[in-house]
Amino acid sequence: MGELAGDKHVKYILSVEKKKDSFESVVMEHLRLNGAYWGLTTLDLLGKLDTVDSDEVVSWILQCQHESGGFGGNIGHDPHLLYTLSAVQVLALFDKLDVLDINKVTDYIRALQNEDGSFSGDIWGEVDTRFSYCAICCLAILKRLDSINVEKAVRYIVSCKTLDGGFGCTPGAESHAGQIFCCVGALAITGSLHHIDKDLLGWWLCERQVKSGGLNGRPEKLADVCYSWWVLSSLIMIDRVHWIDKEKLIKFILDCQDTENGGISDRPDDAVDIFHTYFGVAGLSLLEYPGLKATDPAYALPVDVVNRIFFGRCST
Amino acid sequence: MADHRPVDGAGENPLAELELILESDPLIDEVGFIHPTQLASLSGEEGVDAPGPKNPRFWSRDGKLGISTEVLLPLYKEARRAFFDAVRDFRTRCGSGGDGGGGGVGCEVMKHSRALLLVSSDFGTAWNSRKLVASKEESFSMYMDELRLSELILSYSPKSDQAWSHRRWVIKRIAGQTSSLPEIIMKESELVEKIAERSKMNYRAWNHRCWLVSYMTKERVMCELKESKTWAGLHVADSSCFNYRRRLMTRILEDLCCKDGVSSVDYSFEVYQCWKDELDWDEILIKRYIGREGLWLYRRFLSLCWIRHFTTHAHSTSCNSNYIAEQTTDPSFFLDKELDLVGSSLVVQDDHFDDFQAQALYSTTYILWLAKQMPSPLEIELRQRLTARNMNDLLSEFCPNSSFLSGSSAEDTK
Repeated sequence: MGELAGDKHVKYILSVEKKKDSFESVVMEHLRLNGAYWGLTTLDLLGKLDTVDSDEVVSWILQCQHESGGFGGNIGHDPHLLYTLSAVQVLALFDKLDVLDINKVTDYIRALQNEDGSFSGDIWGEVDTRFSYCAICCLAILKRLDSINVEKAVRYIVSCKTLDGGFGCTPGAESHAGQIFCCVGALAITGSLHHIDKDLLGWWLCERQVKSGGLNGRPEKLADVCYSWWVLSSLIMIDRVHWIDKEKLIKFILDCQDTENGGISDRPDDAVDIFHTYFGVAGLSLLEYPGLKATDPAYALPVDVVNRIFFGRCST
Repeated sequence: MADHRPVDGAGENPLAELELILESDPLIDEVGFIHPTQLASLSGEEGVDAPGPKNPRFWSRDGKLGISTEVLLPLYKEARRAFFDAVRDFRTRCGSGGDGGGGGVGCEVMKHSRALLLVSSDFGTAWNSRKLVASKEESFSMYMDELRLSELILSYSPKSDQAWSHRRWVIKRIAGQTSSLPEIIMKESELVEKIAERSKMNYRAWNHRCWLVSYMTKERVMCELKESKTWAGLHVADSSCFNYRRRLMTRILEDLCCKDGVSSVDYSFEVYQCWKDELDWDEILIKRYIGREGLWLYRRFLSLCWIRHFTTHAHSTSCNSNYIAEQTTDPSFFLDKELDLVGSSLVVQDDHFDDFQAQALYSTTYILWLAKQMPSPLEIELRQRLTARNMNDLLSEFCPNSSFLSGSSAEDTK
């Protein structure tokens, strides 16, 4: 089995930031804050966050903040919960949450909760359990969960449970590993995991492992490195991770590396990108691969960062 | 810091050219990015009628639009600059007392956001600005234009979350105001099918179709089930499409549970028959297409609901959502039938083909899953029958690694 090419991945992530003038990279600029979260969290898991100028990142993030308190995906873009969470997570990585006007961010998030407990992603009203996770994770990091109706938020998430034990984006929608991560993560953060039938959900999640050892996100789909994160973190949160073959999964992720130029792709021999690089490294971290920091499966941040937030210390 | 670099000898602004094309042909319903050499050969076929420039950047005919991959970057940059300028003007105008109406500034926002979305489909701020302008105008035809634009974007980016979400926003806006809603919902459903044809297992597309169900009448739901059946039978690997049927079938049950007084006995029989037909049809597909995971998963759903709602068993759960239909059958009869199906699926006819192995695996997990989910007296009955048929060894042979399937609790498997 190959090994994790950590140094190559660091180089790759730093190079993505410089390569800004191709069409492929400019069409991603509306979600640059997500990209920053993926890239910087990977660097931190690899123990190389100090290769980045934190002041520069923090000042850019603050410029992405909208007057409403939410964050856009880039400077001048409209705010959305998806980017607001990334902004808060990156600031947490750098231990710079104190630059935020916490009341303002909290007000923005609180205003997006609907009567039925669900969350809209922004003022235009699309509802999705992904946005419930963004809101709950963000407020937990800011220690302001009490500002929303948690009970209703939980009830809405539970209403999106499917007959196979998984979760979809709205009630009646199809189970999807990404949505399951969001729902299980939100339930874990709010201490509501008892709403889950762990054996039933664990069964569905384990059936995501295909012959190659990789995980897919739904039945009949090909394996994809990003589900190493979504399926695996969910399995850990419901204490059923011993139901899959970890060795085969590690091998699958390692096979998706570009060992020459760094980066990880969705499947072996495909083109790498920052999104899959993050999910590959984070997946390996959940699998306790040597040389990587541990990751918290619910907050999707390194464990030492989460400890610093909640216990005020950095345990490395 | 917008770039004004000329693209080729013509030096003309690609944004203006694109917007002119879109303006002059409102019927364009498909767009794609094309390599310059391919674009040149397409343009060459036009003949003498269309002289055109030497290095064409766009090609358009019969409602199809091709954009040269070479022009994408400058086009994107120019469109983004023009778009942000237009939004700024629009906001200033709205802020200074006017309602942004008068068309003028709103028009610019619409024009440039359209061009921008044609090259960057998930540029959320551009979609938002269109919602802002449209909600100020509140005109039905403008909302219809939004559905058309979203369809155009989906033609090159069928998974665009933003484009699908935009459709739902439009439909919610017009839902209370138009008598043509049923027709619009039907067209939406057809659109999903059309896009699903080209874009397999598209979660966003099928999710949209599931969302539409809440706008359908009872009768429409039955029609949808019938009309989408052929497509489903031809796309058995697209398990999202079976999830759509799951949504429709669930809706039928919901309608049955809150009977609104009208011929409930007839309706109950109709639903019973519909469920039975669906189970039979799924079995036919399972036998025809060997080793399809989606078909077996769909069967888990159909069978579990069948047991809960259409069989008489002493220990039906007390939860009142588990409505028992007026038409019911003996569960033992049902279990026997399912065991026959599983038994025949365990016969691996040819070791060289993975399909038969897969069929055996899926049938095994199907029956074990069902055993765990059904009321416990039935589970005991099922396990007794498995033993009587000597099927236990076969079952463990086909999923040797799956400790979670063994029927023991999670703690035991540790």
